[in-house]
Amino acid sequence: MRVYRDDQKFLQFRINAVLWGIAAVFVFLAGSFWFVQGVQADKYRGLSEANALRENVIPAKRGLIMDRNGKILADNQPTYSLTVDRVVLKSLIKGDANHRPKLITFLSGVQGVPPQEIEARFEKGKDIPMARPLPVGEDLAMDQVASIQAQAVSFPELNVNPVQRRNYGYGTMAAHVMGFLGEVNDKDLAQHPDLKQGDLIGKRGVELMYDNYLRGRDGAEYWEYDSHGRRLSEYVPARKEAVAGDNVYLTLDFEMQRRAEQYFIENEFVGAAVALDPRNGEVLTMVSSPTFNPNVYSKRFTPQVWKTIISNPFKIELNRCIQGLYSPGSVFKAVMAMAGLSDDAITPTTTFDCAGTAVFFGRRFRCWRRAGHGSVSVANALKVSCDIFFYNVGARLGVDKIAEYAHNLTFGEISKIDLDGEKAGLLPSTTWAEQKQHRKWYPSETISVAIGQGPLIVTPLQVANMMAAIANGGKVYQPHVVRKIEHINPDGTKSLKAVQPQVLHEVRLSPAALQTVRLGLWKVVNEEGGTGGNARITGLDICGKTGTVQVIAQHGWISTANMPFSARDHAWFASFGPRDNPELVVVVFVEHAGTHGGIDSAPLAKLMYEAHFRRDIQNTRLDLSNPDTLEAIKEGKTPVPGQAPKAPAVPVDSNLGH
Amino acid sequence: MPTDRTRNLPTLDWNFIGTALVIAAIGCLLVYSATYFNDPGLNTFKKQLLWIGIGIALMALFISVDYHVLFDIAPILYGIGVVLLVYLLVWGKVTANVKSWIHIGGFQFQPAEFMKVFTALMLAKFFDSNDRAYLNFRSFCYAMGIIGLPVGLIIVQPDFGTAATFFPLVAVAMFFGGIRPRIWAAMILIGLIALPAGWVFFLKPYQKERIMIFLNPERDPLGSGYQVTQAKIAIGSGGIHGKGFKQGTQAALGYLPARHTDFIFAVLGEEWGFIGVVIVLSLYLYLITQALTFAKHARDRGGTFLCICLISFIIFHVFINVAMQIGVLPTTGIPLPLISYGGSSTMMFMIAIGLIANVDMRRFVNA
Repeated sequence: MRVYRDDQKFLQFRINAVLWGIAAVFVFLAGSFWFVQGVQADKYRGLSEANALRENVIPAKRGLIMDRNGKILADNQPTYSLTVDRVVLKSLIKGDANHRPKLITFLSGVQGVPPQEIEARFEKGKDIPMARPLPVGEDLAMDQVASIQAQAVSFPELNVNPVQRRNYGYGTMAAHVMGFLGEVNDKDLAQHPDLKQGDLIGKRGVELMYDNYLRGRDGAEYWEYDSHGRRLSEYVPARKEAVAGDNVYLTLDFEMQRRAEQYFIENEFVGAAVALDPRNGEVLTMVSSPTFNPNVYSKRFTPQVWKTIISNPFKIELNRCIQGLYSPGSVFKAVMAMAGLSDDAITPTTTFDCAGTAVFFGRRFRCWRRAGHGSVSVANALKVSCDIFFYNVGARLGVDKIAEYAHNLTFGEISKIDLDGEKAGLLPSTTWAEQKQHRKWYPSETISVAIGQGPLIVTPLQVANMMAAIANGGKVYQPHVVRKIEHINPDGTKSLKAVQPQVLHEVRLSPAALQTVRLGLWKVVNEEGGTGGNARITGLDICGKTGTVQVIAQHGWISTANMPFSARDHAWFASFGPRDNPELVVVVFVEHAGTHGGIDSAPLAKLMYEAHFRRDIQNTRLDLSNPDTLEAIKEGKTPVPGQAPKAPAVPVDSNLGH
Repeated sequence: MPTDRTRNLPTLDWNFIGTALVIAAIGCLLVYSATYFNDPGLNTFKKQLLWIGIGIALMALFISVDYHVLFDIAPILYGIGVVLLVYLLVWGKVTANVKSWIHIGGFQFQPAEFMKVFTALMLAKFFDSNDRAYLNFRSFCYAMGIIGLPVGLIIVQPDFGTAATFFPLVAVAMFFGGIRPRIWAAMILIGLIALPAGWVFFLKPYQKERIMIFLNPERDPLGSGYQVTQAKIAIGSGGIHGKGFKQGTQAALGYLPARHTDFIFAVLGEEWGFIGVVIVLSLYLYLITQALTFAKHARDRGGTFLCICLISFIIFHVFINVAMQIGVLPTTGIPLPLISYGGSSTMMFMIAIGLIANVDMRRFVNA
């Protein structure tokens, strides 16, 4: 049965009910306003006439950055900033038209900057609401604070505020890993609604990647002011405490990092060094030289500083470990040996005869040693870095097989390290030639790739990852520079979040191939005649591979040590140790060293192993008892220490920070 | 058609239209007062005048076309609205974290605002042909579907605040459409279950924060709590008589956030005092009373429901916005009808006023 209603009556009744309900709500609203505007009017008028509450930001302490053992690398230093209260300033200008020029002159005098600069800061603050303080100076010295406070009666609009400035206690130490801070830009503000104009945010490195942890949350206090702009008392119910940022423990080892950086500075080398733990991907050392001083970035740049940074020909902000792209040179022979053995192109006993030169695909290719190496097997070819042997392996494999193995061993794509701006490098193949170059791949190009030349380019971190995979039997870990994050709870207790090792993928490497390659790499360092003898540490079986990269095409067997800086050869040394149960991978790269990897790069690797295995050895000079080194010196390939033509000095103005 | 228009015109309720225009004029003064000090070119004020000008033209259009004709084309208008909302989701540009704006030349508009009118038309059309005492399950689902489709599309933008402004339509459908007591009970039960689920799954952290702050304002004096504190200071310091036009300091010194949009009523409270507040509230009350009277006298169920649906938007906006000024309700981004600065919402409310007058004008069956 359908129920029809008395439509008119039904709707009218409900509409009337709604009308009365709305009338009641309006009466209630009017009553509420009466309470605020009638009963409590005096209280609010008081707050308003006093220009009400003014907000003072309580800056949050940024989290500390520490090395793996808790040594503090970045903390916060108390300093002072200067702000102008424009509400007070406005009333002062009303009373004295000359007050503003006086203020500008005073500020310019105290801070030692031209008046135009002060005017520019006023101009820049136009977007900040009147009630918020306008920053006009930062990083004030104690005597500046004193002279401002001495004039407090003449300039009541000035406020000196204690602030925290980021401080990198060891200056340039690990600068590329830690990164630096900078003022927020419009993009940052759009992404983080809790930030305000003028705030600092991580711009590079760990400061950027872990900014959400490190930054913390600013607090605020609210002060009541009287109509003359004098601060009365704090409105405590509104107070909001700042929350300090989380502390970040890096995976870096301070001592190893320090020794490695020292080495680059003492020798005035340009280059990079990486040390990894092959068991979990932790980065123990990451050096990029030349470096910069992140303290410089925590302050306002002067134009001169900016010019110094951008005009530096060595691109000091570039983290060469992950952003520098170089030919791997002979270091790539480790990949070739792995590929050849695993793909059955060669066996551990296969030998090729090296006579100094050989012809492939109609072109003549040279070995680095004019006299040739005679008949060599794969292990010995690695030891003496024979080019002819690996030309043969390359010819047998073809470029696509090489690319397949090299890709599995981490080349040609980013390693997903927790740092910004990582480069992928380039791994050539026939597909690459067709799709990217729109041309055919020439078989003769494969011969160049076989010794790590040609279009192939890699980052030092990729080389370290490759060595780690050979060291640990084929696991490719995601490298990371942060070990754990420490959150301090409101009750003072700490909770830790550890970064777990991540295996990105596993490469299938045959045990026989691994054994042979490891033997070859061991011979490089530990047998007489090996190219990496400079890294030898008695009792510690270090395995490694040297590499020398020709930067310009050379015709003949010549040394580049005395050539212009940009024409000199690069020097690589990639290694792991000990041979059984490896704990450490070390890769050293010296840009335009002019020598081969055994001379300029291997000694640093040795220093780093010593730092890790706690051997107390100070000697950083070349090992002249090594016959290979002696031969090289005779051939004019290596400089006598101290006389070498070197790269210009580390170029950051050391007066700017620490 | 011209004869039709001239025949109806004398029955147009000029008091009703006049009240709406007076509210809009007060709005312009307040927008001026809230922006002149940091917008010397008066761009905001001039734009608001332009919106009201366009709004009046749209109002005239929606008065002149018989609302039965609009019922006939309601599915088309509703369809266009849905297409625009889908367009936004697929190709819309993200502005302030949500995709709710369509940019045309230098202007931008929110399809969701216009969708409110189209949804109201669609719902009124539905009730025009449904005259059962109580909605059965099927027709209830149909009515909820009409409202739910745009709401769903707006929630994914994700603009939760605008989606919530469709709530009055649900209330209208349930209260005036008629629902059996046992269904009410079921709805309340579902609501009790959905509430915590919605809290866990749908609310963004900032929305949860706002509700928590409403329950405990000291939780966040810097954010929403600070806004309400400053708005209360503005309103309270206005006292009975107010500080006078352009004499407010809370807005001019930058304490009062969203002073020409969501918190414009606080500017009214500060400069025009309790007297101004009562005047504006009375104007709104008159507008609402008139609209509901029109609903009672309308020629047919469709007209009644159209009036109720449209005025329910205005009731909802006024109540929520005014109540949040003094912290009676939590802070939301809901504008004050005809007063807050904003193109899409001003035009939407002008159209709504026009349609309500339209129903009233054609109330005589054989006029």
